[in-house]
Amino acid sequence: MNAKEIVWIIIAIVVIGGGWLLLRDTTPADTSPIKIGFIGPLTGDAASIGENARAAVEIAVEEVNAAGGINGRPLEVIYEDGQCNGAVASNAANKLINIDRVPVILGGACSGETSAFAGAAEQSRTVTLSYCSSAPAISQAGDYIFRDYPSDTFQGAFAAKYMTETLGTQNVAILYAKSDWGNGIKDVFRREFEEMGGNVVAEEGYEQTSRDLRSQLTKIKAANPEAVYFLGYTEASIPGLKQAKELGLNVPLFGGDAWDDSKIWTDTGPAGDEAMYSIVYAPLNEEFRIKMKDRVGTNEITICSPQAYDGVKVLSQVMEKVGTDSEAIKNELYNTIYAGGVSGDRIEFDENGDLVGANYIVKKAMNGVAEPVQ
Amino acid sequence: MDLFVQLTINGVIAGAIYALIALGFALIFGVTKFFNLAHGAVAVVGGYAAFFFLEHAGLGVLPAAALAVCVAGMVGFALHKTVFLPLRRRQATNLVLLIAALGLLTVIQALIAMFFGSQFHPLSQFAGAQEVYRIAGGAITLVQLIIIISALAVFGLLTLFLKKTKFGKAVKAIGDDEEVAQIVGINTHAIIGYVFFIGSAIAGLGGVLVGFDTGIEPTMGLSLLLKGIIAAIVGGVGSLSGAVLGAFLLGLAENLGIWHISGEWKDAIAFGILIFFLIWRPRGILPR
Repeated sequence: MNAKEIVWIIIAIVVIGGGWLLLRDTTPADTSPIKIGFIGPLTGDAASIGENARAAVEIAVEEVNAAGGINGRPLEVIYEDGQCNGAVASNAANKLINIDRVPVILGGACSGETSAFAGAAEQSRTVTLSYCSSAPAISQAGDYIFRDYPSDTFQGAFAAKYMTETLGTQNVAILYAKSDWGNGIKDVFRREFEEMGGNVVAEEGYEQTSRDLRSQLTKIKAANPEAVYFLGYTEASIPGLKQAKELGLNVPLFGGDAWDDSKIWTDTGPAGDEAMYSIVYAPLNEEFRIKMKDRVGTNEITICSPQAYDGVKVLSQVMEKVGTDSEAIKNELYNTIYAGGVSGDRIEFDENGDLVGANYIVKKAMNGVAEPVQ
Repeated sequence: MDLFVQLTINGVIAGAIYALIALGFALIFGVTKFFNLAHGAVAVVGGYAAFFFLEHAGLGVLPAAALAVCVAGMVGFALHKTVFLPLRRRQATNLVLLIAALGLLTVIQALIAMFFGSQFHPLSQFAGAQEVYRIAGGAITLVQLIIIISALAVFGLLTLFLKKTKFGKAVKAIGDDEEVAQIVGINTHAIIGYVFFIGSAIAGLGGVLVGFDTGIEPTMGLSLLLKGIIAAIVGGVGSLSGAVLGAFLLGLAENLGIWHISGEWKDAIAFGILIFFLIWRPRGILPR
């Protein structure tokens, strides 16, 4: 056997052996974690909402992983703080999109957060599922932008109807936070309320970070409204409700879903008595309540936490079916129907990526606690 | 008429809060000549120290507030000793000091958020139900009255103290020329240290009172500071009476200014005034 033959034999062995190794189905199953992003206000305005939502997401992720993950791959969430601020949320999203390269972002919470990064997410084909943003403008944000929280088109209309028909008020004043959420809901409310024959006697905005609403409230009081529609987040609402009482503004105060934060009512005490607000009806369930209590230490389930929890479940269901390609996830989301969630009996998206349908209830505060109005 | 009275009262309350921040700021600027942005953080420290003494140490309102004011003063003094003094010894420019102070503002606010959480805390829950007084058709609470009285009292006492004591003369000498003051035998570093303590304690008092009026949160330092700085610039940087005048002017302009326009323009009015003064009267109403 000469050297040439030996080389040929080695080549033959390598080719045959290599071919056999390649053709044999030996690819080990991919068990690397599937990473998705989370954006919410973990500090700053609305931090209590963001922290509570994070707890709900952690519970959902644990449940998904305990049940074997997504096709055997564990789910992992990268949490980023959006501070309820567009610029901060935009930076957070850029990091998730460009550095972590996640296929999906769960968030943002505040409408200002989601609006700020929706463009970047759409461009990079990153599926965005917001669990809390309700500003009507987000409907038009793009094909990759979804939300399992209802648009404020529903809430503004509900509030207008409730204030004219149930409370019987004809002249109302609006006090709103200058944010995508506050502006969006105010516009819908005003339009609907005036269509029903109501009269908006004053409309006062305030910077979201402002804690001194006295002059706005003074002007509202001078306009003599029968009720005030007060759209504010926790941090401005606590002093705002107190200042309204101090100034002797003794008319019903009606708020938006952001008031579903028990901190507002414990901190304002008697100044918050009789205040009312609308909130999306969430069926919840005992198991979810217990798990949340174990995690956050109180009975607190703030607005959007059920939606954040369901968001993880919806995304897992979709990725289980179509994998982690963002375009496939997007297409599948439009066809998904998720039943039996804690935020609603049925989660389904319309052609704008918005939640189809919404039910609201009204809660009223008394002695530091807000309870549903029968 | 009622509307005018109430808006004026609102303006005076806001002005008094700005005055407390501006007074300490102007005092420190008077001797160091740099923009101490950490001044806003010191006010936050005051608010949170009061919160700590009330919530965790179970102290009464008055001792808690008094201790909190001291804590804020000591933090200001410590910042001077550990950061500003070494930088100044190294002949750092005012830009370097400004950036160091901005860094301190961010770090202190972040530390407070780590220890106390970033939630909003109204301190008024520790003071019980608030008495509301009626003045000529307008409403004002006890805390708000205390804020106004404190601002005026602090201003009066401080002016008297600086006028009548040797310490005050030393402060003025350093403000005029630090090197010459050193040459004539004034221990400038020690005096500046005391000035930091006093200025920071006043800011701390502002933080505590804001806490009782509305509430505290780690990020409130920057907005308080900005309004304080605008007041100081409008009044005439480094001048105490200018700072107080500027503060009340700012508070009244902000609150009366939105009489016929929407309240969302409040901050725009404040910064509009700042730009106006920077361009047409950069030395302020009462230059030092």
